[in-house]
Amino acid sequence: MTLYEKKLNRVRRVVYSNQDQIDAVIGIRNYIENNFDSDLNLDLLSRIQFISKFHLLRLFKKYYGLTPRQYLIDKRIEKSRDLLRQGMKVTETCFAVGFNSLGSFSVLFKTKTGKSPAQYRKEQLSRSNLTFDSEPLRTEI
Amino acid sequence: MKVTIISIPVRDQEKALKFYTEKLGFIKKLDKPLEGGNRWLTLVSKDAQEGPELLLEPAPNHFEPSKVYQDALMDAGIPYTQFDVEDVQAEYDRLTKLEVEFSMKPTEMGTHKVAVFNDTCGNNIQLVEEL
Repeated sequence: MTLYEKKLNRVRRVVYSNQDQIDAVIGIRNYIENNFDSDLNLDLLSRIQFISKFHLLRLFKKYYGLTPRQYLIDKRIEKSRDLLRQGMKVTETCFAVGFNSLGSFSVLFKTKTGKSPAQYRKEQLSRSNLTFDSEPLRTEI
Repeated sequence: MKVTIISIPVRDQEKALKFYTEKLGFIKKLDKPLEGGNRWLTLVSKDAQEGPELLLEPAPNHFEPSKVYQDALMDAGIPYTQFDVEDVQAEYDRLTKLEVEFSMKPTEMGTHKVAVFNDTCGNNIQLVEEL
């Protein structure tokens, strides 16, 4: 056994010894992964695993390093990048990944990627050298 | 400030380029000649070509402490670099067929699954999947 494996085993014993907790947070993460485009909230997530909201929040953060909300936002932004790259229009993308306000989508997208969704889409499309329907300028907010 | 480069020390840049592109599936981005036959050689992920670049740098050949450190990590089985994958088991199956050697088979670590392989250029590399 390498030194690295010994160290990992120690981390597993100390940090990952509670399998029930691990199963619960993995269940929550999978639910977010499969339903990121729907209207998710802490109440709903806590009902799925039968644990209290505050306990869920604490456990999720402990194992994934992010709150469920931050995790969900990252997932939606990641997915929206894929869709924009494929040529989907900004407004459609916003709703397709589960945001219900174009304004907050644009602000979050820009915070996370450094570019507005419209700018990102334009760059990606010109890079891939494909022709798509041109998008009206008014979506550039 | 932006993170753009992740350095990987390699003993042989050409061999590393082959391994990282042909077996791991990275794509060559920059290849600029430097002095003494060295190259500024970077790769990107196929799925994130605008993302950070891997710099295959020949440091162990020119700076002894780099070689000593790399050897010590190798002996201890410690991966200094890790890549995210969708499915560690599937990558393990694919890479073992390509004769890549793993020092650690796919192993669950709480909310993650990890595996470690030898990149044939002096490094252990870890694959990680979030569960």
